[in-house]
Amino acid sequence: MAQTINTEVTRVDARRKVTGTASYAADSIPAGMLHGALACTAVAMGRIAGIDTARAEAEPGVVAVFTHETLPDYKTVKGFYAGGPGSASFWPMEGTEIRYAGQPFAYVVAETAAAARRGADLIAVRYEEDAAQIHMDPGESFIIGAGEDSEGMTLTKGDIEAGLGAAAQTVEATYRTPFQHHNPMEMFAATAEWRGEQLTVWMPSQSVRTLRGGIAKAYGLPETSVRVLSPFVGGAFGSKAGVTPYAMLTIAAARAVGAPVRLIVTRPQMYTVATFRPETEQKFRLGADADGKLTAFEHVEIAQTSRFDDVVNPGTHMTRSMYACPNIHTEQRLARSDTNSGGFMRAPNEMQTFFGLESAMDELAWKLGMDPVELRRVNDTNRHPVKDVPFSSRSLMESYDAVSRSFGWADRGREVGSMTDGDWLVGYGCATATYPTNMSPSSARVRMQGSGHAYVELAAHDVGTGSYTIFAQIAAAQLGLPVEAVDVVMGEADLPLAPIAGGSTTAASSGSAVHIACTNIARGVAEKVAAQKDGPLAGLDPAQITLENGVLKGPGGESQSLAEALASTPMGEIEAEGQYRHPALTDKALRMTYHGGYGVAGPVTPEMAMFAFGAQMAEVHVHRYTHEIRVPRLHGAFAAGTWLNRKTAHSQLMGGMVWGLGSALHEITEVDTPRARFLNANIAEYLIPVNADVRELRVEMLEERDDYVNPLGVKGIGELGIVGTAAAVGNAVYHATGKRLTAIPMRISDIVSA
Amino acid sequence: MKNFAYTRPRSLGDATEAAGNDGAQIIAGGTTMVDLMKIGVLAPETLVDITGLGDLEGHAVGTDALQFGALARMSKVADDPAVIEAFPALSEALWKAASPQLRNAATLGGNILQRTRCPYFRDTAYAQCNKRDPGSGCAALDGGKTSHHAILGGSEACVAMYPGDFAQTLVAFDAQVMTRGPGGTRTIPFAELHLLPGDTPHVETVLEPGEIVTAITLPRIPAMANSHYLKARDRESYAFAAASAAVGVEMDGDTVRDVRIGLGGVAATPWRARAAEDALRGGPLNEETAREAGRIAFEEAVPLEGSAYKMPLGADVVAGALLTVKSRIGGE
Repeated sequence: MAQTINTEVTRVDARRKVTGTASYAADSIPAGMLHGALACTAVAMGRIAGIDTARAEAEPGVVAVFTHETLPDYKTVKGFYAGGPGSASFWPMEGTEIRYAGQPFAYVVAETAAAARRGADLIAVRYEEDAAQIHMDPGESFIIGAGEDSEGMTLTKGDIEAGLGAAAQTVEATYRTPFQHHNPMEMFAATAEWRGEQLTVWMPSQSVRTLRGGIAKAYGLPETSVRVLSPFVGGAFGSKAGVTPYAMLTIAAARAVGAPVRLIVTRPQMYTVATFRPETEQKFRLGADADGKLTAFEHVEIAQTSRFDDVVNPGTHMTRSMYACPNIHTEQRLARSDTNSGGFMRAPNEMQTFFGLESAMDELAWKLGMDPVELRRVNDTNRHPVKDVPFSSRSLMESYDAVSRSFGWADRGREVGSMTDGDWLVGYGCATATYPTNMSPSSARVRMQGSGHAYVELAAHDVGTGSYTIFAQIAAAQLGLPVEAVDVVMGEADLPLAPIAGGSTTAASSGSAVHIACTNIARGVAEKVAAQKDGPLAGLDPAQITLENGVLKGPGGESQSLAEALASTPMGEIEAEGQYRHPALTDKALRMTYHGGYGVAGPVTPEMAMFAFGAQMAEVHVHRYTHEIRVPRLHGAFAAGTWLNRKTAHSQLMGGMVWGLGSALHEITEVDTPRARFLNANIAEYLIPVNADVRELRVEMLEERDDYVNPLGVKGIGELGIVGTAAAVGNAVYHATGKRLTAIPMRISDIVSA
Repeated sequence: MKNFAYTRPRSLGDATEAAGNDGAQIIAGGTTMVDLMKIGVLAPETLVDITGLGDLEGHAVGTDALQFGALARMSKVADDPAVIEAFPALSEALWKAASPQLRNAATLGGNILQRTRCPYFRDTAYAQCNKRDPGSGCAALDGGKTSHHAILGGSEACVAMYPGDFAQTLVAFDAQVMTRGPGGTRTIPFAELHLLPGDTPHVETVLEPGEIVTAITLPRIPAMANSHYLKARDRESYAFAAASAAVGVEMDGDTVRDVRIGLGGVAATPWRARAAEDALRGGPLNEETAREAGRIAFEEAVPLEGSAYKMPLGADVVAGALLTVKSRIGGE
């Protein structure tokens, strides 16, 4: 049997996706389905003073128009940051209250999608408008929680002022990151069909169990009465994790009209009806001795949040895990403003905080007159700087050394502005990437047939990353089958528990569950064949039979392929479940996951710190006349334990770096301050990189062995590639121009104005 | 989107008549019209699709003039080797606009009439927009974000920017627009086609109801052959200009005999920088004079808080475009 792990395997669903036969949630059309549309507020704050639905109701094709006064049986759930499954704690259409611009205030059901939209446009609404503030005021920030432990939002180790006093060089700097939106290609959508008290919901989701649990609880139904289906997901990036108002409105509307209803949210509405990446400020004070060793490390992050949720993505937990330093002080602060609640967006705190940290480290290196790579080297550590436990594996400097070689770091001009190419100023920059290895509990069920076919079933999700493929690979490798002989079934809440597809957990956590289920299959088969009269393994102690690449082996060299052994048993087929739980996972976290929450072990356990690392280098060109910033070369080297599939892993890291490039140069949700509204809610004016922006992009995948993180030695990589890119680009801009841009995205206007 | 009637006339006369009716809008490539209908900014009663008028599709590069049918597709003209040789800036301006899909669909006649990308114009949730709803005010000037707005040609009623690229080459090189309306045919100097916003930003051109652009012509002049369109934008493709310049130069030894400068991404209409041209004409072209021309081009600019960067940027883009042409010509 050919090796399937750590090889390049083409996605098993590639053909279906490119030929249009992969059925996404909104492709399912139950009989008699009607169409929903949302009407959303123009104003950001105040109350609905009156709604006139007469014209909408008279529009041909419109079946019903629901407002906060007329939608029966509309249920809501607690918000994620209040311990529930909801995307936010405030729910629109429960009353007249308006808390953010673009808040749904009416729901139209019609015979066609076009009629539903027309109906929504024809609703006349009057507002009592209050003033709203859309940007946070960092001066009004506060700390949530307290305490000195790692769960706390502040941490002090040593004496930061003494550390700064002892430093040969210090850096004090503030960096800013903007509102951003996920913009998955697949639109938000929900289709609901009631049959009596049985509800089926088709919805692209990063957590079908969260969705099912939330809906069932809200309606007081047993979970067996609620089916949630999300077979393929066309990108999510954190935007499809929670139970959203658009889903609950659709479910209520379908019940009210007595027919299935499908809602596809419009692109502009996608900017307001779910979450986004909040804006942040990153304040750093760093001190280092003449050799570059850090003597002081202070990081205060201030992140925007809504009035009704404390949306906290604790970025300082990440930055203080990075470099050795005797004196550390961090604070995790929030500042409120009048928006919907933000949430998590791919590398939800690491993107922002590492733009800040790695820019500050670069400033420090220039002040010290040091090679910025060497500054990272002298501060590298094999023990967690705060918790003082060893890293389970940490290949930071191996990554720097590899990317330095491929990039040609040594060839750079040592002075600012020392390199040019025609009318372009040229600069090189580098930055660290890291992402926590979060281990969720997960289950998987595997059924194998003696004919040589296997089925893997679990309530996990393929959000476009390649999960279908890697689970097939893991099972194929163990069961001794070709990858094509394994069918993977996912995206249904009724299947065995799997965690939210977030925090880069799926491959490592659910992959481990698949691995364990396959081990259990082997054990079951071994017991059966050992008990049989005939066969190579007959009469052996089943505990001494091991499984190796699909072959059962006895202690005396006896062997039989698993499929053959299975075929010789009376049933010729076997099913086993595998439950994976990291030894450090607390009972509380386990329960949380079973209830649809995000329960993980790590990244820092009592014994070990679990992180993946990498290093990125950018060559930046800045034009003398147009002041355009371009990135002709972007190289990254990463180590993340075992590579399950070198092809999809490469794509994940490459896609991450492209996303990182977007965060550096392009992505920003622009804001109209007086009216507290987003301005560029479309993908023509919300810039993301186009092909022409991505030129030489090289990903190097280093070998790393980590026996602690999980049985497969895998670390998640869905988010790693984004982290540090913006700083690498910004640091190269400084090298090229001498201009230190402290806010992303870095635009022509910033170069001209700096 | 509101329901609408659709008609596809077979003759220019029928098209003119249909387009002259109340509530009628002409549609060709549809890249602006359909977009604005979908977001509720435009709600025509009738769409008059003129893509059946095959006579308007061609273009020709002659010894004395360049002629473009109103229905010539952007991509087809941009790719024509004769156009590239005769007037590189025009091909470059088309190439650097929009995306391949849009360039394949969009026509030149529609391109010159494209509407502003001002976010307050395009989002009907903003009650204030004098262009969309005359007399309602201007959200951009009422504390709004102005980083994509005009610093030349704006008024107290409207600072929306003309977003196109192609038009800058037309305005700088004395193009003319041929039209057919209810009253017959006429020729309009391109520089007079667009109206400054003034008190009536909703009236964007001199075209009468039912008047259809049929062709665009350009006299062939020596500066065309040495021309360049330089576009500064925040991503490499599919982005509107932060600032752009269409320039062409004819040298007589070391002296500028003729120079043309059109400005994009900075003005309320397609914009010709005549004062900057005058400053260069009859003198040398070098880094110093190019930068001085850039400065002069923005002497009368009225920067807003968000768009102040466009003044130094625009000046640099003009200088960069002039020096690129100079280096292509050769010489000092």
